[in-house]
Amino acid sequence: MAWQFYLVIKMRESIIMKIHYGTALGAVALVTIHILFRMTQNFSESLQYQNVIANYHLLPYALMLEVVLVLLSVHGFNGLRVILLELKQGIMYEKMINYGSIGAMAALIAYGSRTILMAGMGMS
Amino acid sequence: MAERISNREGLRGMANPTRYGLERVAYWLQRLSGLGLLAYLIGHIYETSSIVNGKVAWDKMLELTQTTQGHLLLTLVIGMCVFHTANGIRVMLGHGGIGVGKPGQPEYPYDKSQRSAMGSLNYKQRLCIWVSIALAALAMMYGMAVLFGD
Repeated sequence: MAWQFYLVIKMRESIIMKIHYGTALGAVALVTIHILFRMTQNFSESLQYQNVIANYHLLPYALMLEVVLVLLSVHGFNGLRVILLELKQGIMYEKMINYGSIGAMAALIAYGSRTILMAGMGMS
Repeated sequence: MAERISNREGLRGMANPTRYGLERVAYWLQRLSGLGLLAYLIGHIYETSSIVNGKVAWDKMLELTQTTQGHLLLTLVIGMCVFHTANGIRVMLGHGGIGVGKPGQPEYPYDKSQRSAMGSLNYKQRLCIWVSIALAALAMMYGMAVLFGD
């Protein structure tokens, strides 16, 4: 619980914004590689089952997907948190939004990681 | 208290891109594209998760997404992504004080070069907003050529 307390209560907005910008820059670079992978061949061909599974079996690419997932989830849900906090303020409301966005972030990362892990290990 | 509440426009105020010029439009587009991209990210993660259910499930999902409507949605996502990135980099540079210039006192007669009289952005920042919109439009055209060119 201590790390959650630090994340939600103690972390200054200036630090959170640096994380927001850092995750944005990292995501831009890695999403570019992700899109380029789709362009290595004809777009619809690259989406064929065997090609996509082959992508997941490639360890460096699977690791990159995991990093992209974390970066985009953190950036996306922090962005949503900022929008919701701009809309309304209040101790309970802010606490709810902060914890809610961390929860949603964790859930999306867990669900995406499950796909990467299962497809990567051939559990399909 | 009553006056404070009556002045609070809430969601309607946030959804209104007018009244404050180009920078407000950029702010509005940044938030709108951010929300759109987050929705797409969630949808994309759900869509790709069908691969763990085997080839039949994956092909079924492709049948749903690889349609004209699906490609149009993807084109919109490309546009949102490019605008959000380019405008986001402008905002980052602005937060770092790069390209914002020195603040000046408004003096009569006001002209457009006086930032404090005409808004808080100088011409470099305003140009960046237009470049972001143009880059998004170009990327959407390229995306359409790739998606519909198959």
